[in-house]
Amino acid sequence: MNTMEQQAVVHNTFVVERAYPVPPERVFAAFSDPAKKRRWYADGDSKQIESYDLDFRVGGGEHYASGFQEGHPLAGRTLKSENIYRNIVPNRRIIFTSTMALEENYFSISLGTVELLPSETGTNLVLTFQSAFLEGADGPEMRQAGWRTLLDKLAAELGR
Amino acid sequence: MDKKKIEIDRVFQALGDATRRAILERLSFGPMSVSHLAEPFQMTLAAVVQHLQVLEEAGLVATEKTGRVRSCRVESAGLNLAGEWLKARRPEWDRKLDRLGEMLAEPEDPQSLH
Repeated sequence: MNTMEQQAVVHNTFVVERAYPVPPERVFAAFSDPAKKRRWYADGDSKQIESYDLDFRVGGGEHYASGFQEGHPLAGRTLKSENIYRNIVPNRRIIFTSTMALEENYFSISLGTVELLPSETGTNLVLTFQSAFLEGADGPEMRQAGWRTLLDKLAAELGR
Repeated sequence: MDKKKIEIDRVFQALGDATRRAILERLSFGPMSVSHLAEPFQMTLAAVVQHLQVLEEAGLVATEKTGRVRSCRVESAGLNLAGEWLKARRPEWDRKLDRLGEMLAEPEDPQSLH
């Protein structure tokens, strides 16, 4: 059967909250400054960064391409994510649309909302992420790959 | 404990038993002799020793014999393994925002002071 025919769409919404002990201005800067954003958004990944750019303004884009490490079942293939900024209220709110693809094969299209709420101790960040997952695209393959990488990492950790 | 490779299956199998979790909880207050450890449990010492063996093979407990007393303590290797595994199962954004928190915890770059 053609994979396009059996492709199902799964919808998912999740909310992540964090309290940071710094004012909203500093949290916002970590989203708007390309060097700062890259540090926490891309650099800490276990994947190899192939390219990263950020044009932080309404209509501007953010592109992040990463490769899987040697020995990974998906080694040599590129994971691409693209965000387009839709609404920016400095120090308060950022809304963006987001796509994820393995090469040209899209597997999720999402809407992300970041809200920065000033608190007595700093900033409460609320991220709401609403996605449509194109399940047939590569879900199981990706999941399995993620597992294997993780178990390899654990083995390396234990060998220290 | 030696450099024997601990498997994630073993760790979760060991933790999948209420008695073994209770043993681990009791040990988390500090090392103690096997006989002292066994006191509150309604089972033979041999049964407790058997549970300890499973925990030891999973890297969750270490035992040591000093003279005639066998003492045991919590071993962090197995717990770390389980913790890392659970942590890595969290959604991508959860991990990203933790990294953002680590970055924000650093002293502010003097150039960006306003």
